[in-house]
Amino acid sequence: MGGAVLVGLLAAAPPLLHNQYFTGVFIVCAIEAIWAASWNFFSGLTGRENFGTALFIGGGAYTAAFFNSTFGLNAWWSIPGGIVVAVVLGLVVGFPTLRLKGPYFALATLASAAIMQQVAINLWQYTGGSEGIYGLDRLVDSSLGYYYFVLAVLLATVLVLSLIAHSRWGTILRAIKGDETACQAAGINVTVYKIASLALSAAFAGLGGVLFAHYQQAVTPDDFDVFLSISVIIMAYVGGIGSIWGAAVGGILLNLMLELLRGMGEYRLLVYYLILMVVLFFMRSGVVVPLWRRLSGGRSA
Amino acid sequence: MSALLEVEGLTKRFSGVTAVKDVSFTLAAGEITGVLGPNGAGKTTLFNLLTGFLPSDHGAARLEGRSILRAAPHTIVNLGVARTFQLCRPFHGMTVRENVVVGCLAPRAQIGAGLEQRVSDILEEVGLAHKSEQPVDILPYGDLRRLEIGRALATRPKLLLLDEPFAGLGAGEIEPLVQLIHRLHDTQGLTILIIEHKLREFMQLVSRVIAMDFGEIIAIGEPADIVRNPLVIESYIGKADHGVA
Repeated sequence: MGGAVLVGLLAAAPPLLHNQYFTGVFIVCAIEAIWAASWNFFSGLTGRENFGTALFIGGGAYTAAFFNSTFGLNAWWSIPGGIVVAVVLGLVVGFPTLRLKGPYFALATLASAAIMQQVAINLWQYTGGSEGIYGLDRLVDSSLGYYYFVLAVLLATVLVLSLIAHSRWGTILRAIKGDETACQAAGINVTVYKIASLALSAAFAGLGGVLFAHYQQAVTPDDFDVFLSISVIIMAYVGGIGSIWGAAVGGILLNLMLELLRGMGEYRLLVYYLILMVVLFFMRSGVVVPLWRRLSGGRSA
Repeated sequence: MSALLEVEGLTKRFSGVTAVKDVSFTLAAGEITGVLGPNGAGKTTLFNLLTGFLPSDHGAARLEGRSILRAAPHTIVNLGVARTFQLCRPFHGMTVRENVVVGCLAPRAQIGAGLEQRVSDILEEVGLAHKSEQPVDILPYGDLRRLEIGRALATRPKLLLLDEPFAGLGAGEIEPLVQLIHRLHDTQGLTILIIEHKLREFMQLVSRVIAMDFGEIIAIGEPADIVRNPLVIESYIGKADHGVA
């Protein structure tokens, strides 16, 4: 019910605002919401924090750029291509690192995203170096049309990941977070579940990366730096750890907030990070999910 | 009775210290056996070797003739060996019911549509049915022990390994747990191996005791004989700080 209102608001806002710029803002909001939801599926449920989601996003985005701009393939090929590449990257990162415990997984993911960024800069013959790759086609011609396409992808992402999170698969992921050793003692092959879940998370992050590349019609290494990885994590924390839709709403709200603060000029980021610190200090279980529970009278959404 | 578990020459060293040294024994199907010994005798290391949480240096362990030593922990569970931990390890952030659900999701448990009923039955069995929706993080220690046993049962084990199930329990909690273990043995025919360093609980429960000290088996026999065994007495009295409680 409340979800339908939320989706209605998201669908109605850009045409009502009737402004090309704001439509662009909403497109970015929806794409970042896809990233936040995908991050929260793996890291929020298993407690293994992925600090390198920019690797999967960038993998998807660069695949789109190679397919569409370099090889001249139809723009729609970017979607399956970007997803496959992101999944492969998820498997490559997951196999060696998901056996690591504690901060090692986080550091390994952080490093692998940094490596990809350097590779993108150094292999300039293919990637255009720090200039990146330009000239991608749009997937949908009108901005509003593209917004609705991205919004539909976001809804599908939240729906699919939420269904899995509430299935037996999701129960096992939460058990891994609860105590991984005990999960093995309960007969669960935790490595298989972790790797499969990271690959699924990577698939949606990469899909979001494809949408981002075709929206900007360009990719540069700077788009996929460590700040992207961290801002996605912040979105999930603000939304509510482990909640797929909460992370998506968190992503939208944070991006809108950043936009509303634009009037503050150079103080914008200062105020933004102050708000974040207040949230993370005083609202440890996030903002979106607890607020929703209160508004809907204690029922979990 | 046929042998369910055969252990031969099992050895584990930690940088110079031999935690488990040339340990051999067999467990008959349907038997309740105790592993007795002071702290540091190698009891928990033995459990960790048998459940795949530690790799062994030498020796063999076979469940119904099938080697389990090189297998991963989850594989061993799915062959029919479940365990509990000395310090309870619940799935934090989940409810009592969900904790048992995870055990039912082990491939060996082979639960399809009957999951809810199976979970209810297990919670009933271990006496936690009335707390099924409580988060485990507010559960008293005695209940966590029962929950650990319930989660292990959910995997449908043939052999249940209990690591000091009475540690940290109040006097009033021990007797019901002894009865629960007896009931599991009687009604489900479970083979049970229990670690304990106190003698009193053992006497009521086990039909056979494997006494260990410094990583070695020093005696195997009936409880009444074990408590009179000079080597066993020495291993306890020689270490007054551990004491026979």
